[in-house]
Amino acid sequence: MNRVALSVCTSVLQLALVGVGSLVLLGLMAKVKARAEGRVGSPVVQPLRDIRKLLTKERLHARHSSVVLALAPMVITASAAVAVGISPIIGTHPVLGQSADIFVIVYLLLTGSVASALAGLDPATAFGGMGASRAMTIGALAEPALLVAVIALSVQAGTSNLPGIVSSTASHPAWVFGPVHLFALGALLIVVLAETGRIPVDNPATHLELTMVHEAMVLEYAGPELALVTLGEAMRLGLLFSLVANLFLPWGVATGDSLGALAIACAALVAKTTTLALVVALIEVRSAKLRLFRLPELLAGGFVLSVLAVVMGLVIR
Amino acid sequence: MNTAYVSALDVTAGLVLFAAVMTLWRRGVRTIVSILGVQGLSLSAVALVLAIHEHDTALLVTGGLVLVLKGIVIPGLLLRASRLDPKSRETRPLVNVPASLVAAAVLIVLSYVVSARITSLAPSDATRLVPLGMATILVGYFMLVTRRRAVSKIVGLILVDNGIGLVAYLLTSGVPFIVELGSSIDVLLVVVVLQFLMVSMGRHSDVDVLTERRELRD
Amino acid sequence: MLLVMIVAIPLAMTLAAMVCPWSPWLGRASGLASAGVLALGIWLSALTMTTPRWGAAHLMRADSLSAFMVVVIGSVSVLATSFTSRTMSQEIASGATTARHARHYVILMQVFITCMLIAVLSANLGVVWISIEATTIATTFLVSHRRTSGAFEASWKYVILCSVGIALAFLGTVLIYYGELHASGGHVASLNWTSLMAAAPHLDPRVTRLGFALLVVGYGTKVGLVPMHSWLPDAHSQAPAPVSALMSGVLLSVAFYALLRFRAVVQIALGPTFPRVALLMVGVASLLVATAMLIAQRDLKRMLAYSSIEHMGLMAVGAAVGSPLAIAAVLLHVLGHGITKAVLFLSAGEIYQLEGTTEIDRISGLLARRPVLGGIFGFALMSLVAFPPFSLFVSELSMARAEVDAGLSWVVAVSLACLAVVFAAVLRHGRHLLMGSRGDGESPSVLDRSAASMLVGALVVCVALGVLSWPVQSLLWHAAHQVTP
Repeated sequence: MNRVALSVCTSVLQLALVGVGSLVLLGLMAKVKARAEGRVGSPVVQPLRDIRKLLTKERLHARHSSVVLALAPMVITASAAVAVGISPIIGTHPVLGQSADIFVIVYLLLTGSVASALAGLDPATAFGGMGASRAMTIGALAEPALLVAVIALSVQAGTSNLPGIVSSTASHPAWVFGPVHLFALGALLIVVLAETGRIPVDNPATHLELTMVHEAMVLEYAGPELALVTLGEAMRLGLLFSLVANLFLPWGVATGDSLGALAIACAALVAKTTTLALVVALIEVRSAKLRLFRLPELLAGGFVLSVLAVVMGLVIR
Repeated sequence: MNTAYVSALDVTAGLVLFAAVMTLWRRGVRTIVSILGVQGLSLSAVALVLAIHEHDTALLVTGGLVLVLKGIVIPGLLLRASRLDPKSRETRPLVNVPASLVAAAVLIVLSYVVSARITSLAPSDATRLVPLGMATILVGYFMLVTRRRAVSKIVGLILVDNGIGLVAYLLTSGVPFIVELGSSIDVLLVVVVLQFLMVSMGRHSDVDVLTERRELRD
Repeated sequence: MLLVMIVAIPLAMTLAAMVCPWSPWLGRASGLASAGVLALGIWLSALTMTTPRWGAAHLMRADSLSAFMVVVIGSVSVLATSFTSRTMSQEIASGATTARHARHYVILMQVFITCMLIAVLSANLGVVWISIEATTIATTFLVSHRRTSGAFEASWKYVILCSVGIALAFLGTVLIYYGELHASGGHVASLNWTSLMAAAPHLDPRVTRLGFALLVVGYGTKVGLVPMHSWLPDAHSQAPAPVSALMSGVLLSVAFYALLRFRAVVQIALGPTFPRVALLMVGVASLLVATAMLIAQRDLKRMLAYSSIEHMGLMAVGAAVGSPLAIAAVLLHVLGHGITKAVLFLSAGEIYQLEGTTEIDRISGLLARRPVLGGIFGFALMSLVAFPPFSLFVSELSMARAEVDAGLSWVVAVSLACLAVVFAAVLRHGRHLLMGSRGDGESPSVLDRSAASMLVGALVVCVALGVLSWPVQSLLWHAAHQVTP
């Protein structure tokens, strides 16, 4: 099997796996939280059913909204899909893998964030604007930490190419237990909680106007567009989870060029992200949502951790 | 053996600085004191790892001393002192926490730049970690300057001392034993003295007022 | 053996005070102990003229510089401890303190003196650091002796600032040790003065430069040099008079002694320019700041404290020159300033006892009302501003000469300008304190004869040091040559 076909195969598999799997992860986390709180909760595949139901409904737009509202869902989903397609999720040779630089991935994610913020502002409702402003605040604090944390890993690996980082970590297992990975993992966990809107940063289950951040932005969506937004956001979560999993536990990621390795990689990815989802769900159960004014403290903590990781990387290089 | 030594050293030294950053991050005074204890334990672990690697008995004893003193005794004393004053359960930073953390990030980078000239003299697995010690010292000074509570000032002082200890172990495998012993006792006594002042001042009035008083001036 | 004995005297006195209850005799005995230290110190200086002595299994070492410092510590502590029983009895009588605290005071005073003696007699520069840090701990309780909120505030500031500063000195010491370790090929390094001097030419310049900068800031805190001086006026004004006398008179100089030692090492390693620039910066800054603060000072003891900063600045500038003449002059200045400051603080303590205040505006007519005390205070002030027969005049003149010789005329100009301003300021304050008439119906009170004779004797010594060159001159030269390569 030639490399090009394999790359295409990797990317397609990644898109399919993350597209479906991340929705299941959302359902799984909701289920774990419900169980931990003593409720039965909805089934794990509930998000998939929601999407299916939404797709059958008609498109509705707020009266004064512009084209931004209609375009944003596509931008959100498309940027997430491109990022998923080129990242090293199940293999280190996806399509365009050589251009899957950390800066590219971070800016793809940022494009999605900006699109949802604009979509929040566009109908000119009070909640949308409030949600957009809060999301931008959180994003402005979280994105640098994300960037710097991955830079720390790239300092150690000697490349800023994500597949390169994953494969060199896989060949230096001692790194995983070194301080660089330790601090960067701490920073990335905080960033992931913030970027995917989980407790303690945001509560995905609330529609209380005082606290909601992400939900406030997408309040004006209905039908297929809501489905698209939900899918895009779920893919962002899936992407971040699998990147964290692969950067810190690179075992199982297919580095060679055989279909068998890809199959193993799929299984490994499911195992790793499920574990991570359980950890995040437990964090959510265990902690209370922070007041908005305390959020900068948490995110600045993530930032300083990532700086610590970079300096560690420079020091022990 | 060698990679185990290197990564043990990296992690323990990294933890010392990590604990220093955590003291800026958290607000609860008792939490901060516990973090200080963790830092003391990591510091003694650095000494012990070095001692085992270099078969240095004096350093082994030093490590044990640090373990008891900075890991257990000093945090214990501070916990007791902070329990005496229920009012000061949270720190009161002059500079808010996010700004402190960003400043800490700047200080960490600064110490990396500054330490280059020291480490280049004798590069080794241990000396390359010196920036971590320098950063701990700087974070300690930052804490001293920007925290109002008396306990926080003492914590800052101990951070500085732990940072110097880390630099000393990494650069020279510890100063001569007699100096190490003397300086450890000095640190303990300073903490006792400060605790005494804090408590007796607390009897006169609110402890906090102590660090904000401006009775003496020109 | 002799070295151990010198340290053992105040140590034995400490133990004695721990077992005996307070009585005025305890105070007198501590005065005698200090006299013993002074006598042994003088003997030691005679012995170390030719060769340095070692003691206590090579942990202790005394050359003529150490011996000279023992003499300084001895002479100032004789003055300070002789006032112990007097001050404490007065305080107990007025209810300001209790017998228990008076005993603690005696104990801590002796611990304080012991630590300073260990600092100057230790062979190891690490131990020097330890004992200087230990003086901080001992003096904290002495500063907070009065147990007022002001005293607690002063001692809090004192411990925090000094520990923070001196921690930097420890870091500097560690760096110098690292340099020594590296220069000696990684085996024989001990921080001992002799081994350090032997390794000095091979020290790495970058590490040494950083180390010395840290040492200057670190020990500079304890010396009271700007910018780390702010503890000094508070601590000196709140401490009991004999403690202020000891702190200002010798503690500052003992920390300065550590700087002198390191300066010698660094001069060999880096050449004279770097230590000169470093010391000039802090020295000139101290001179300027202290001068500015002296002008507007309203409290008598704070005025004396700022004058200490000013004199320490002068010494730092002198040490910056680094020629044997300059160092000898600095050492003479240490002795003269120590004795003069002790006399001033002790008489300020008497004034406080009698007047109940140290605010300059509220005291006047001392000469008319208390002729002996006023007279002593007046002469001591003249000594402080370096009037001719006193030794400070000689030392300042010699420092100026050394500075001109080294091509630092601008420094001389700055110092002289500062001294002139200080002269005017001190004279203005002194005139307010001393001149003026006695109130109606008030009879002139006389100072206790033994106390008066101690203070007068000290002033006579100051004059003698200024007028006679023997026997001090050769000692000073020997001592200066110990730290001038």
